[in-house]
Parts: sequence; structure tokens; C-alpha cells
Amino acid sequence: MSWHVDERVWKAYTAGRLDPAAEASVETHVTGCVSCRAAAHDYAAADTAETVWAGVRATITAPTPSLLHRVLRRLGVRGDDLVLLSAGGSLLVPWAVAVAVGFAIACACVVGLAGLDPVNQDAVFLAMAPLAPVLAVVVSYAALDPLRDLTAPTPFSKLRLALLRTVASLVVALPATAAIGLVVPGLGDLTFLWLAPSLGLTLAALVLLTWWEAPVTAAMVVSLWVGVVVVVRTTGTVDVLTTPVVQAAFAVAGLVLAVAFVLRTSTLRLQGGEQ
Amino acid sequence: MSATASLDGVSKTYGRTTVVRPITVDVRPGIVGLLGPNGAGKTTFLRLLSTALPPTTGRITIAGFDVTASHANRVAARRRLGYCPQEVTFPRGLTAFEFVDYIAVLKEWRDTGARHREVRRVLDLVGLADRPAMKVSTLSGGQRRRLAVAQALLGAPELLILDEPTTGLDPEQRASLRGLLSGLAGTVLIATHQTEDVSALCDRVLVIDAGVIHFDGTVPELLATAAGRVHLGPAASRGAVQTWKTGTGLVRSVGGQPAPDSSVVDPSVEDAYLLLRSAERTTQGVV
Repeated sequence: MSWHVDERVWKAYTAGRLDPAAEASVETHVTGCVSCRAAAHDYAAADTAETVWAGVRATITAPTPSLLHRVLRRLGVRGDDLVLLSAGGSLLVPWAVAVAVGFAIACACVVGLAGLDPVNQDAVFLAMAPLAPVLAVVVSYAALDPLRDLTAPTPFSKLRLALLRTVASLVVALPATAAIGLVVPGLGDLTFLWLAPSLGLTLAALVLLTWWEAPVTAAMVVSLWVGVVVVVRTTGTVDVLTTPVVQAAFAVAGLVLAVAFVLRTSTLRLQGGEQ
Repeated sequence: MSATASLDGVSKTYGRTTVVRPITVDVRPGIVGLLGPNGAGKTTFLRLLSTALPPTTGRITIAGFDVTASHANRVAARRRLGYCPQEVTFPRGLTAFEFVDYIAVLKEWRDTGARHREVRRVLDLVGLADRPAMKVSTLSGGQRRRLAVAQALLGAPELLILDEPTTGLDPEQRASLRGLLSGLAGTVLIATHQTEDVSALCDRVLVIDAGVIHFDGTVPELLATAAGRVHLGPAASRGAVQTWKTGTGLVRSVGGQPAPDSSVVDPSVEDAYLLLRSAERTTQGVV
């Protein structure tokens, strides 16, 4: 060996002040020089290993963002909101529910009910389609219901948490159900006219969720809506539900329920028991 | 020393059932143990203090904020407390890190880097630093319990409320958790059935039963209530609250009239608790 790494070079190396060429030269030399490897202990900062290890740990323990996360980040969703939405599969599960319910609707309409007359096909579609977004929202609540006891005593706004989950569920559930409606032949205006009742039912579910747990809420809303459609169908056709007056009534009911939801949340907040 | 939390005439009623009768008590810095039988109202007491439950009557003040007065005060208090419930049902699919990270977001840790550092710190504190990527569903019962405690430690809260934190932990893990809790600054309130935890850790003990605090004092004061009332002898004391044959063949009796040739022994916290419970039951007319 014609040279050895002296103190000045060691200090510059450990402080990261050497240029890449000099750094590579030191590393190559030390690999083959026993005395310089021994000297390295004297110059390396005592906490270097700890610092390096902390960095390695930080890297390997940080959750790896999924493709969906990366896409949502690109779309401008905040990192902390994503943590809330993705916990317990609250983002993926409602998506899966929406697609599954939509698929069930398509199967029922296209295959299972092929032999039925168009009036009954419409009734089945109208009974099921508005429930897809409702179930998606309710399922996103159910995914994190077990954590209510932990969530309640945190400073995070529970209304914001509820709206985050709802929006995230609807963003996937509404287009998915609409897409299914588009591929089912012969639905006509029904392809979009399920949206108004769906809005009302979703808001009704949000109000009910402030009293009851997710499964009970889902059962209540599903029973109510299917019951309405069955009653309407037995007394005539479901076309009555698609008339402008009834559609407007659904929209008004939706607004009333939205106000009820905000009032209910505020009342809970005033009472100190918001969940 | 000013109180971290104060309850003034606080009660909780569900329908016609009163779970906590009007309680007035101050909780000051240090470790406070809450002892009581099942159904005594311990969990309701802790949930009231954690702001998870609104009281039916009375006023609760935490870190100077009257949490019963306004939502803003409640939020301010929540920024200063950590709460570990008796049972935590973890959502499926989360890893240990993701679970604590989720609660950290709810505790308003917005900056990702700082939040992740804090998550690693609390996982380290409870001895789960090497398991951040493990699914919660694959952790053992003791590890899950420690994970539940970890989320309560986020942000080094002024008031730490732990409901049965040592349940499901093996002796080594319990000792480790005691070491951790004893090193914390601030106020720690622990509900427990483990009287050894109380004697090992607590500066102060509250004994609660049927929603009423029956004892409020230090561990030596609690032990003093049982002084001279625990005996070791060849036979059980007459009318003893509890008796059992020890490994030496002698019978240890808590309370009652000692048998001939018995000697007085130092009481444990458990002895004192049993005697206190017996006195309460007598007062309440329960045999």
C-alpha cells in the first residue's frame, strides 16, 4: 500500500464531505487495507451506526403505499386522509361491495330475469341499484366500528371523519352502479333515475348510523326501500317512482335528511357523546 | 400540586340504572390505581374521564378544560389525554404500524414524517419495535394488548387512562409495562384487577364499587386498614373473609377471629381490598 487514509480524510469521509470519486477511492482502499479498517473505528462517530440503523428502520417500517394510494395522492388527497380512508380496508371493501352489488344487479337483470317482462325487470333494478351506494357507505362504517371506543376520545372531528368515509365510498359506488345501468339493455331513463332515491337512502343511513351500528342500519334501510318498491309494484308499475314529482320528493327528502344528519351530529357533539 | 383531572358531582345513569353515583374526586400527577370488582363502574368511570361518554350530572375538568362546558374544551382536553379501553377489537388487515398510525392521524399528527417517528417511538416503548409490519391478526394476545397501550402513549399525554392494561400479559411483559409506566411523567390512571400492580406501581388507590368510591388514599393507608387482621395459623380464623392453605401447611386467614396459635402477618393490598369489599357488602346488606 502506497498510502493510508489519514485523520483528515477519515473525518471528511464520515461527515460526508468527500466528492464521489474520493469517497469511492477511500472505500476501495479500506476494503483491501486491514490497518485502515481497524483505524475506521477511531474515526466513525459513535452514533453513526445508530443513526444509520434508525434510517433503515424508518424506511422498512414505513407502510408501502399501494397503487390506489399513489393514484389518490396524485389526485390531491392528503396523506393523513388516506390513512383514515384505507384503515381496515374501509376504502377497498366499499369498492368491492359496490362492484359486487352492481354485478348482482347486472346478473339479475340480464340473465336471471331474462324471461320476465320489462316491468318486473325495472322493479328489480330499482329495488337494488339505489342500495349499492348505501351498502358501500354502511360497510365503510362497519370496517371501523370496532374502533369507536378509541376514536371517540380523539380530537379529530367525527363529522369530518363521517363525510370522508361517505365521499370515498360514493366516489366508487356511484360510477360503478351507473356503469352497470348503462350495460343493462332496455333500462331507458332508469339508468340514472335511481340516483335520487339513492341519495335519500344514503343520507337516511348516515342519520341512522348515529344511533345504530352498521348491520342494523343496513337492515333497516334495505328493508324500507325493498318494501317500498314491492308495495309500489303490487299496486301498479314502478314508473311512478320515476316521475318528476316523486324524483323531486326524493331530492327534498335528501336535503331534509342532510340537515337532520348535521343537526344530529351537532346535538351529539353538544352532549359530549359524539361517535 | 394541581389536579390533572377533576370530577365534581359526576354521575352516569342509563335509563333507570345508575352506574356511577355522584363522585367528586381530584386526580393529581402520579400513578393512580382504580380497584373494584366486575361491574363496579370502573370502565364507566374511565370512559367518563376519557370524554368518550358524557356524564348525566356533574362537571369534569381535564388539564384545566371543563369538558362538560363546550365542544371546544372537550377537543382541547382530548389533545392532552391517551386512552386504552379494556377491550380493543382491531380492524382486519391492519399491521401494527398502520393501526397506531391510524390513531395518530385521529390525534392530529398531520406531518407524515413526524407521525411515523412518533409511531415508531411508542412501538419501541411497548417492545413491538421489531413487529411493525406484522398483521395485528397474527400478533399474540399480549402483543395486541401492548399495541393497544402503544396508541394511548402517542404524544406523551398529560393524562393517560388505561383500563386493565396488564390483562393477558405474561409476568415478564407485565414487569416491563410496569417499568414503562413508572417512568412516565404526568398522570396515569389504571383500572385493574391485579392488586400486585397497585402495590408495585401506584402512588394512590381508589376503590370503587356499585359506582361509589369507598376508599381514596395511598397504598400504605390502604394496607393500614388491614393491619392486624391477617393471620397465619394451624386453622382458619372464624368468620374470615378468605382463607387458604399455604405451601407451608399453615392457613392464611383474612379477617375474622384468629384460631389459637395463629400469628399476625403483614397484609397485602389484596388482603386490604378483600376486607374493604367485605365491609362494603356488609354495609349494603349483601351476605
